Amino acid sequence: MPGLPPLIQEDVDTLEAALDQLLLKSEATAALVIDKGGPLVSQRGTVDRFDTTTISALAAGSFCATQAIAELLGEPNFASIYQQGKHHSLLFCNIDENLLLIVIFKATQSVGVVKYYAVETIRRIMEQLQRAQERAPDTSVDLVSMNVLDVSSIFRKQP
Amino acid sequence: MAIINQATKELQVKVVYYGPGKGGKTTNLEQVHANVQGVSEKGKLVSLATSSDRTLFFDFLPIEAVAIRGFKTKFQLYTVPGQVIYNTTRQLVLRGVDGIVFVADSQYDKMAENVESFQNLQDNLKSLKINSLEIPYVLQYNKRDLPNAAPVEYMEFLLNNREVQVPSFPSCASRCEGVFEALNMITRLLLNKYINESARKTT
Repeated sequence: MPGLPPLIQEDVDTLEAALDQLLLKSEATAALVIDKGGPLVSQRGTVDRFDTTTISALAAGSFCATQAIAELLGEPNFASIYQQGKHHSLLFCNIDENLLLIVIFKATQSVGVVKYYAVETIRRIMEQLQRAQERAPDTSVDLVSMNVLDVSSIFRKQP
Repeated sequence: MAIINQATKELQVKVVYYGPGKGGKTTNLEQVHANVQGVSEKGKLVSLATSSDRTLFFDFLPIEAVAIRGFKTKFQLYTVPGQVIYNTTRQLVLRGVDGIVFVADSQYDKMAENVESFQNLQDNLKSLKINSLEIPYVLQYNKRDLPNAAPVEYMEFLLNNREVQVPSFPSCASRCEGVFEALNMITRLLLNKYINESARKTT
């Protein structure tokens, strides 16, 4: 399973610009790009009020579980999940093999509008990731040039 | 696989605690959550469990620590449900894994379950097209305090009997013994793996 390529400033800027555009047009509250393994890749909007790290882990699990159910039903086309809330609703959209787009928006807003603008956002994200992949198809973390600390006891137990 | 963001200087890695049901995987995370110190940030421990406290989907604990100067290193610790029937869920949780702590139950009557779970781990990695030789893992022999615990040598023979042996740790997770040792070792192995890979590519 190929992972996400290392992201440089250009990638981060493009992802953030795509999310900003989505938030502007759809008037959604927050938008996240997450890895299907759980980690958060990029986030924009009013994110301080949400625990986006945990949302990412749960959303990835939820989406992948629903995708597995769809496969058991013989449904190959599974692109999104909509969770309707009382205050905020959520839209989970598949980006590619590795990534998901999560949009948090007010429950009074129409999911159709969010979905409509999300299509363009996904396209922009995919294009940028394609560029990142082509730039460094084999590159993994270059820790050699980084200043790695003694990792034998990063986590210390309180006495 | 680890996520590296060179722009925001962040590295995110995923460690999964795997093993048979009721072996102490959730207890490991609870102890890390309760006792860890010196980390930059510790998130909430989220448990998706049944009403009888058995893990249904996963437990999740995000921790941020400094492993590389100038780089934020975010560790995401997960457990899988140990019960045999939840295999699809285990496959989902293994997605994107960087390192594994295999928590074995030391009791004699749990040996078959340990071996079955270890084999299940190999099968699931294969089904996810992950080369099990490339994923660092450590063994933790838990519940050493129980009277019917099998000798460590016997567990080594059952679970660590291969050409290149992996580090193993006797533990009593409920007393937080052997918990941090296993976590620090898997962190060390997975970061060293990336360092070696980087070195290979630059030479």
